[in-house]
Amino acid sequence: MSWSRVGFSSVLLLFFFVVQEAAISKINFPIAGFSLYLCVVLGLMALEDRFGAISFGFIAGIVLDFSPSSDSPFGKWALILTIIGYLFSRNRESIGDFTERPMAFVLLVTAGATISLIIFLIIGLILGENNGSILNNLKTIFGNGIWTLLFSSILLPIIVKLRSLTLTSRERI
Amino acid sequence: MAVGGNNRSRLLLVILLVTSLFLITLDLRGVNITSSSRSATQSFLAPIQRGVSDLFSPVGGFFSDIKNFGTTKSELKELKEENAKLREKVILNDDTLGQLKKLESVLDLAGRGNYKVVSARVIGKGSSATFSQTITIDAGSSDGVFKDMTVIGELGLVGVVKSTTSTSAIVLLMSDPTFRIGVRIARSQSIGVLLGEGDSEYTLQLLDPSGTIEKDDVLLSLGSDNNKPFVPGVPVGFVKSVKNSRLTLTQEAVVSSYSNLGSIGVVSVIISSKNGGPKDALIPTPRPTPTKTIYVTAPPMVDTATTTGSEENN
Repeated sequence: MSWSRVGFSSVLLLFFFVVQEAAISKINFPIAGFSLYLCVVLGLMALEDRFGAISFGFIAGIVLDFSPSSDSPFGKWALILTIIGYLFSRNRESIGDFTERPMAFVLLVTAGATISLIIFLIIGLILGENNGSILNNLKTIFGNGIWTLLFSSILLPIIVKLRSLTLTSRERI
Repeated sequence: MAVGGNNRSRLLLVILLVTSLFLITLDLRGVNITSSSRSATQSFLAPIQRGVSDLFSPVGGFFSDIKNFGTTKSELKELKEENAKLREKVILNDDTLGQLKKLESVLDLAGRGNYKVVSARVIGKGSSATFSQTITIDAGSSDGVFKDMTVIGELGLVGVVKSTTSTSAIVLLMSDPTFRIGVRIARSQSIGVLLGEGDSEYTLQLLDPSGTIEKDDVLLSLGSDNNKPFVPGVPVGFVKSVKNSRLTLTQEAVVSSYSNLGSIGVVSVIISSKNGGPKDALIPTPRPTPTKTIYVTAPPMVDTATTTGSEENN
C-alpha cells in the first residue's frame, strides 16, 4: 500500500464521512437507514491486501468513531473495522480479485455491512450498552443490508475506478 | 517472503486491536478525549449540515411521504380542496411555509407553558450505523443552548440536548433506547418512567404499585431538579394500550408520543421555565369534530293559477 494511496483513501473516507453525516442521514429511508460510508469503506477494504485491509479498516473505524451522533465508546468502530478488514483479507486470499466478479463483490460488501452491525451490537452488549429491542435492531440491520445491496451495485464500480487511479504501475501489474 | 508478510500483518493486526481496546478503555474510564473530538467534528460538520439541509429538505421526507401514503389517503380530498384555495393566494416557498407553521405551533406550546425558548431548525440526523437516535439543530451555546435542556416540538416533547458547539447542538430523541424520563399521568397523578424503545412506541413503567393506567391517559413530564434535563408539564404522549402481566409488580403500558419524530423540521429548546411549570395547562385537548350545517332554500313558488288565468285571457 503506497503512501499516495493512503492519502487518497483517507481523503475519500473523509469526503464520504461528511456526505454521510450531512446528507445521507437526513433521508428517511424505509425500513432503516443506509450507511454510505460503511458501504464505501467495505468496498475499498475488499480490494486491499491483508496489510492494507487491516490498516485501512482501523483508519476508517477511527473516522467513524468521530461521528458526533455516536453514543458508543471511542475506538469501538476501529476495533470492528479492523476485525472486518482481517476477515476480508482472508477471504480475498481464498477467492481472489473481486473486480472480475461484480456480484460476489456486491454480496461481500453487503455481508460485511451486516456483520459489522452485528459485531457492533455484540460488543455493545459486552460493554453493557442499551441498543433497544432486538426486533428494532434486526430491522435496522436488515434495512441497512437491503440498501447496501441496492446502492453498492452502483457505487462499487465508481470506487474501483477511483482506486485504480492511485495504483502505482507496479501495483497495476 | 509470504511468511514474513503474514507475520508483519499479524503483528499489525494485534497492535491495532490492542490500540482499539485501549481507546475503548480510555473512553469508558471517562478520559475527555472523545467528547472534545466529537464536539470538534460537530463544529466542522454543522455549517455543511446547515447548507445541505436547505438542499435536501424536500428529498429527506420523500420516502416517509410514500410510507405514509396509505394513512393520508383519507385526507387527500380535503387537501385537494385546500390546495385549490392555496393556489389563489400568494405563492411562497412551500418549505418555508411548512417550517413557519411548525414554528408557530412550537411557540404556541411554549407560550402556553410559560417557557422561555430558543427555536432552531433541524439540520441533521444521526447515522443508522450508530444505532442511536439523534438530530442536529442549528442553535448552540452562543444562542443559550446547553447540555441537558428540554427540547419540544409542535405537539410535545422531542428529546434532550446531548451536546453543544457554539453554533449547533445534538439532541437525543425520546425514541432512543437509552432515553428515560419521569412522567406523571394527568388523570390520576401517578408517576412512572417512560422508556425509549428505538421506534415510535414507548414503554411506561408505573412506580406506584397501587396506581392504574387507562387507555388514552395523557402523560406529562415530571420535571427534574433545576429543570435539567426536563422541565415539568410538557406533554410527552398518551397510553395506547395497557400491558396486563402478573409477573410485574407495577403496571406497564405501551405509549405513543405526541411528536412525530420522523418529520421534525423545527424545534424549541427550553431555556427556562417560570413559576414551577405549567402544571396541567398543556394537556392536549381532543380536536372537536366538525359539524356540517346544510342550509336548504326552498325554490321560488310559482303561482300556477295566475299564470293559467293570464294565458286564458290572452
